[in-house]
Amino acid sequence: MRYEIRVEGHMSETLTKAFPELDHVVMSGQTVLFGQVVDEAHLYGLLNRCQSLGLRVVEMRQLPE
Amino acid sequence: MERLSQPAGAPGEPSTSAGAENPRGPTSPYVDPLGEPFLHTRFVPPARPATFLRRPRLAAHLDQALDTPLTMVNGSAGAGKTLLVADWAARLGQPVAWFTDEAGDQGAGTFWAYVLHALRLAGVPLSARVGCPADAGRVDHGLLARLAAELSELERPVLLVLDEFDRQPARQVAEDLEFVLHHAAPGLRLVLVTRTEPLLPLHRYRAAGAITEIRDAELAFTPGEAAALLDRHELRLPDDAVRALVERTRGWAAGLRLCALAARESGDPEAYLREFEAGRSTIADFLLAEVLKRQPAGTQDLLLRVSVVDRFCPGLVRALTGRDGLEPVPAGLHRQNAFVEDLGHSWYRLHPLFAEILRAHLRERAPHLEPELHRRAARWLRDSGALPRALAHSAAAQDWEFAAGALVGDLAIGQLFTGLRADDLAGLFGRMAPEAAGTAAELVRAAHELSRNDVERGLSHLRRAEGRLAAQRAPGAAERLSCVLLETLAARLTGSPCRAERAVAAASELRHEVPARLLEEHPELLALLLTHLGSARVWAGSFDAARAALSEVVGHPGGPATALPRQDCLAHLALIDYLEGRLESAEREALAAKAETERFGLGRPAGAALGRLVLAAVAVERDELDQAEALLAEAAACGPAAPDPVTAAGRSLATARLLLARGDPQAALEAAAPAVTVHVASPWAELGSALVASAAHLAEGRPDTALKVLEHVPHGGEPECTAGLAWARLAAGDRDAAIGLVDRLGPPGLTGTGVSVRAALVRARVAEEAGDVATARKLLARALLEGRRERLRRPFLDAGPGIRRLVDTPPLQSLAAGWLTPGGPRPRDGGAAEPGPLVVEELSGREREVVRCLGQLMTTEEIAADLYVSVNTVKTHLKSAYRKLGVSRRGEAVRQARARGLL
Repeated sequence: MRYEIRVEGHMSETLTKAFPELDHVVMSGQTVLFGQVVDEAHLYGLLNRCQSLGLRVVEMRQLPE
Repeated sequence: MERLSQPAGAPGEPSTSAGAENPRGPTSPYVDPLGEPFLHTRFVPPARPATFLRRPRLAAHLDQALDTPLTMVNGSAGAGKTLLVADWAARLGQPVAWFTDEAGDQGAGTFWAYVLHALRLAGVPLSARVGCPADAGRVDHGLLARLAAELSELERPVLLVLDEFDRQPARQVAEDLEFVLHHAAPGLRLVLVTRTEPLLPLHRYRAAGAITEIRDAELAFTPGEAAALLDRHELRLPDDAVRALVERTRGWAAGLRLCALAARESGDPEAYLREFEAGRSTIADFLLAEVLKRQPAGTQDLLLRVSVVDRFCPGLVRALTGRDGLEPVPAGLHRQNAFVEDLGHSWYRLHPLFAEILRAHLRERAPHLEPELHRRAARWLRDSGALPRALAHSAAAQDWEFAAGALVGDLAIGQLFTGLRADDLAGLFGRMAPEAAGTAAELVRAAHELSRNDVERGLSHLRRAEGRLAAQRAPGAAERLSCVLLETLAARLTGSPCRAERAVAAASELRHEVPARLLEEHPELLALLLTHLGSARVWAGSFDAARAALSEVVGHPGGPATALPRQDCLAHLALIDYLEGRLESAEREALAAKAETERFGLGRPAGAALGRLVLAAVAVERDELDQAEALLAEAAACGPAAPDPVTAAGRSLATARLLLARGDPQAALEAAAPAVTVHVASPWAELGSALVASAAHLAEGRPDTALKVLEHVPHGGEPECTAGLAWARLAAGDRDAAIGLVDRLGPPGLTGTGVSVRAALVRARVAEEAGDVATARKLLARALLEGRRERLRRPFLDAGPGIRRLVDTPPLQSLAAGWLTPGGPRPRDGGAAEPGPLVVEELSGREREVVRCLGQLMTTEEIAADLYVSVNTVKTHLKSAYRKLGVSRRGEAVRQARARGLL
């Protein structure tokens, strides 16, 4: 499954390294993290990681394959 | 060998482990229930920094927590939840039980061990009866019920704060908490501080108005509060600037704090903040980098390096940075309210939010440093006695040789088998890299495989470890003692008693070579060793020697660490008593083993099977066949069968005897041969299956075969074997041999009832068949009196038609009536004989207790509370007691039970 997670604000390069398995692109006040998600557990893990880094998740959706 | 587990030292020297003088009793402060010295920091709320802003509206809302069972402070990371509750709790003027959850605490058992500890630290007078979980993964429901019951009787409610509850991954914990909260009301006020909504039925609490909720929106700073906070950081801004800042940060406490710090150090705070407001970066990330880069280089380095540990103190900081003189830095950072929280006693931790971000910075700036930092932390923690944390860090560093060495060197290898850490350690060492070499690594691998019942692999690692030990010039005593433990276990599992004896002979010298402190800290090591030795001796049929080893374990004060070996030992003692024909003691010990598992919430460990098998075998002897069948099913449900020959033999014996009693000789014959591979055959197991086989052949009309299977039975003249063998021979028609055997038995009195009753029956039958009815009656009378005491019915039921006829006619009839044959004691007035139900089935111990409570006019609920069981359990007991007594009402049940002398 491919997912994208949009978080509010521009993430620093350093912080994006906390998501080594995802690509990212910074745009109009948001950072989009996207890439392959292994399973549910990974998905919730990513959400947890966002929370513990103080990121505000604006949107999260599955991408068409 | 005996007294192996006595603390070293001269006899008579006061032992430091004695309960009364033990300075580390359960109520003394700052003690980790699991033995880690630095854990106390998790039982205290963090100190508030000087810049902390008290917000009256939140404190006032939180005051309602005193009136609702549940309070939830629910907000994002860095929203200021913990400090809010810590500040409020500190000003309450009453003790507060505080516990901070931490990632890596797996399982409900660990959680409740900590919560019980937190409650005791807060002075809650919990009695020892509550118990303590000894299995990391689960907690006994009875323990929670006892805890709730004791809390509900408190004069004033206890306040329990669970911080970072979101880190508690076990779903079961939420259910358990809900149970305790519900049953402890009004004695418990629970405050959950969490980032995510807990899995409690919050809607119910909301509907009942039984919850105080503070959520993100309420935690957000208002512009007025933000101004006051900035003021504490000596920043004074115009109102609109503050408002804009609150808007940009959405009133997020961590964001405001970092803003204040970054702005203050920027030279022109106002301009700096204007710029920040206009920016679009993620807040914490950006601000933290800003604040970090303005710190002196040494401080930056310190912050990055401590991000790999949960908590730190000056010593650990020195180990991680490799530099002196940094001691005042954490305190300074705490004063500034930057990153660091003060846990007291010179222990600090990074704010969890900042720790995550700092770790990202560490990885970027020094990608290869992280494993090295973990390695250093592991070494420092081990030297300071914090083995579990040390192991976690060496695993993170992939430093397996160190991890294995630390576990073995601290004599903690037994923790892989028993106690609260077993699951954690199994998980941790399950990840051990195959390249890790060394004696300790091989020992740990062997232990890991043996604990998972993989004997073959365990043995091959054990061989390798032994090879390495033999090649060393001066192998360490701890390594050798650990090796002895595993060797004994392997001997037990493969049924080789000699090997166990050889291994243990070495242990009595070794235990003087290892530090006595380690042996005291790890009572499980010697307890396990003696248990395995005892089991091997049981297998060998050396019951007296086995009893000596097993009783030593049982005789020591129990704790969670040794709960598992203790119950194993009790079950083995029960088996010995059963084999020697002492049903009552066997039952008592098997029930004690069961109580031990319940007290420590061990669930159904593999060892619990043996206790239930003994109970099943006892039930067969008493002709309580349904109960025996239920117990066998329970034993089968005790998880996958361990390749333990004693248990396997016990299982096949109990099953075969039940099938015989049920009249299915063919199936009994099949069940009688246990499927285990062992080095040495066990005399009692062999005899037992031969006796079953003989009886089965006889039942199918093959007396010759029945005699034949008895021919090659090993027989050393033990009374318990002799009586059974004599009976089988007589039954198969070899009267002379039977008498010869019985004559070798000593006087009754010295042997168990099972033995003397069988011997008497042999003699009685011989007399009866010879036409000497008077002698037969005399022998039978004695046997009946003896058998009645232990409700030993099976031998009489199997005794053949001649004996049964004698029992059914006066004068023996009255001795058998009521327990062996239909009818109660005859009424004296000679009135019409009561038809009565046939054999009155005995009430179980629990049923008797319930009926006794009925006699005291207690309600079902009261009985449940009195016996610490649920109402449903009481109802089940009542139902089955009614059935056995043949009644349908309470009063009738009490009357019947009294009339039959069951009470």
